[in-house]
Amino acid sequence: MTLVKYLKSTDLKSWLAELAEKNSVFAPRYEGDSVIFAPFDPEQEIYTKSAATVPPKKTVFPQSEKLVDFTYHKDPENPGKTLIDGKEVLPQGTTVVFGGRPCDVRGFSMFDRVYLTKETTDIYYKARRDNTSFITIACEFTESTCFCHWVGSSPSDPIGSDVLAVPVKGGFLLTAVSARGETLLTSKLLLEGKPKVEEAEEVLDKVMENLGKAPDLSKSPGKLLEVFDNMEFWEKVSAKCISCGTCTYLCPTCYCFNITDEIQGLKGSRIRSWDNCMSALFTMEASGHNPRPTKAHRLKNRVGHKFSYYPDLHDGIISCYGCGRCIKSCPAGVDIREIVLKAIEFMPTVVEE
Amino acid sequence: MKFQEELKESIRKALPELDVVIGWCGSFDPLHATPHFIYGEEDIEKLEISPLNVHNLATYLPGMRGKKVGVVVKGCDSRSVVELLQEKLISRDDITIFGFPCTGVIDQSKVKKAIGYVGNVQSCDMSDESLVVVVDDKPHSLKLSEVLAEKCKSCRYPDAIISDYFVGDRIAKKDPAEPNYKELEKFEKLAVSERFGYWLKELDRCIRCYACRSACPLCVCRDHCIAESRDPHWLSQENNVRDKLMFQVIHAYHMAGRCTECGECQRACPVDIPILMLKQKMNKEVLDIFNYEAGVNLKDTPPLLSFKMEEENITEKDW
Amino acid sequence: MPVLEGKELRIVGFLCNWCSYGGADTAGVGRFNQPTDLRIIKVPCSGRIDPLFIVKALMNGADGVLVSGCHPRDCHYSEGNFYARRRLEIMQKFLPILGYEPGRFEYTWVSASEGQRWQQVVTEFTDQIHKLGPAPKIVGPEASDTLSLMQAALK
Repeated sequence: MTLVKYLKSTDLKSWLAELAEKNSVFAPRYEGDSVIFAPFDPEQEIYTKSAATVPPKKTVFPQSEKLVDFTYHKDPENPGKTLIDGKEVLPQGTTVVFGGRPCDVRGFSMFDRVYLTKETTDIYYKARRDNTSFITIACEFTESTCFCHWVGSSPSDPIGSDVLAVPVKGGFLLTAVSARGETLLTSKLLLEGKPKVEEAEEVLDKVMENLGKAPDLSKSPGKLLEVFDNMEFWEKVSAKCISCGTCTYLCPTCYCFNITDEIQGLKGSRIRSWDNCMSALFTMEASGHNPRPTKAHRLKNRVGHKFSYYPDLHDGIISCYGCGRCIKSCPAGVDIREIVLKAIEFMPTVVEE
Repeated sequence: MKFQEELKESIRKALPELDVVIGWCGSFDPLHATPHFIYGEEDIEKLEISPLNVHNLATYLPGMRGKKVGVVVKGCDSRSVVELLQEKLISRDDITIFGFPCTGVIDQSKVKKAIGYVGNVQSCDMSDESLVVVVDDKPHSLKLSEVLAEKCKSCRYPDAIISDYFVGDRIAKKDPAEPNYKELEKFEKLAVSERFGYWLKELDRCIRCYACRSACPLCVCRDHCIAESRDPHWLSQENNVRDKLMFQVIHAYHMAGRCTECGECQRACPVDIPILMLKQKMNKEVLDIFNYEAGVNLKDTPPLLSFKMEEENITEKDW
Repeated sequence: MPVLEGKELRIVGFLCNWCSYGGADTAGVGRFNQPTDLRIIKVPCSGRIDPLFIVKALMNGADGVLVSGCHPRDCHYSEGNFYARRRLEIMQKFLPILGYEPGRFEYTWVSASEGQRWQQVVTEFTDQIHKLGPAPKIVGPEASDTLSLMQAALK
């Protein structure tokens, strides 16, 4: 039997405060005109109406994180020689993230297939992933940029979450969707949820109706490969791209990183930071050769990776969950849906011989 | 817009000589527009002129050198084109400029604030003074003046100041004669510690996507920006507020005497950081010291690319 | 950069090779007494100074920055300091918006023979920085790290 509880909106902060006793808790709130995930602060309003401007990606995959701290010092035996002392920095503590959306949180299942495989385990990623729980809010409204239902997900997709919260009158219906989720729902502040189950189902049915019909993307992996060498196609669809990193940094499924040493004097850290494939430096080689010299090559990679190469490697799963941030926040209005559909519909012009 | 058809006609006339004309068209919902690249006759019909055309299309020009490019410009955008020409970053022979009288563009952040939540936009009807946005079956009626971008409220160059084709009736230069820095002056009156704290707090949420830089028509270093170079090592790759703020100073300083205040940096910012103020401050001082405004006169040399033996407005410290 | 805690502040000086560095040397040879807060970085010409050096120094913990070059019309490279004057003036006017007091940064001209003037400039500038006290410092990666310290200092 699934554990369901009802949380009154007025008790939300008290509940998060309880959780914050043992975990660091992140919740969405306004900073300026944007909604971002910040450490829970009882003084500040929590924003729950729609998806945040920036997804909670950083809670498991920080914008930058220290991997190793190191110091240089002289070898006392041999003063001409410099020694390096290094110390691994592993993430500590447990985290609870409240208020992500299904499209935000499901993104981590994409990371798992890359960072937690049979052959290799990324210990930094694993430490955070194992110790972070997600209380996800199902969407009651949709936006013009939403397309989760195109890519095999839905506004109440529980994958990756521990608790799914459905907005109902006066609060949320909380459903535990993992064993860890059940332990999160033990607070005395939570009431019996069964009477609200029906109402929650109605909310979810209505939102699915609003999303409308989704086009069939099953052909996208093959079709994108077909246009791979058609640079004219890519130059046209990327013409308005301005080569910033907004789409990748706001994407819940983009997981590429860069590693650099940042040194001050005799101390330094090896850090890992977000990288983005829209940047020319992403593929710049030491020789000066760049296999992706133009924005057309780079955008091709971004779209191709999500809708073709990744699904080819991972059981057909498209590595995009349709949160739409890359469309909504793009300064130039590049629409990834439009590009994928264009590729699917693309018919090479027949040249008569 | 009345002159939209006239503009399409001009483009139709010029297109055979050009590789592409850049304009705007509708985007993912009725409340947004997007840059539109017109390659052939079949693309012309989609062109739309509306207050949603926020993008400064001059941004694309330096990257398209060698091509024959047509570009549709608002008054403010035309200043960027002039500045690019002043600095010889683009060639006048290669570009064809289409101008029109601009009555201002809409600031999406203000719409968001006014409506509260902009979800599923079903329609957006605009008149000269108002717009009605229907979101999830609910109509919201907004005054255009409420959601107009700040820069438009004190616009001094509504007509393109340089053009090969100009459609519509010129609005002619508007008041005031001087740029409006009232908000900036208010900020400057705060205590130093408040100013310092303000920037840290605002920049904390920067995700270092560099959209501010990429959207800037005058950030022409593009793939060779010192923000990412490892040698010299101006900025670290760490997620710290110092580097985020330092980058904004780099941007503002590299714009000194060049920035035309189109506001694209701030508009492009996905997390709404008010970085335009830094450029306004720079411009205010440039105007003060050099009596100079960027991108208004093709023959001008930007002040930091020249000097005078005796500077009238620089008073050095007397030790 | 080590300083005598509690006594010295961190002041960075960018001096041109041809005039001001010589001027500082002349002051030393002449045994003119000078405060010891200043740390000098020699540059080929004041025109070589990217005004961002000044911001970078302040953001990394300097309390004051002093730039000195050849007098106008005396530049070793004819016009380096003319360009420098415009750039430095703009940066000086810009800094206050970031929350650095006017006076944290000054620029001036000292020739190689002006040992006495150098002594005067250093003494006066050091004095000026001490009157302002330590500059605001950014500590830690998050804004809240600095902001909470600033708040605590106000109490």
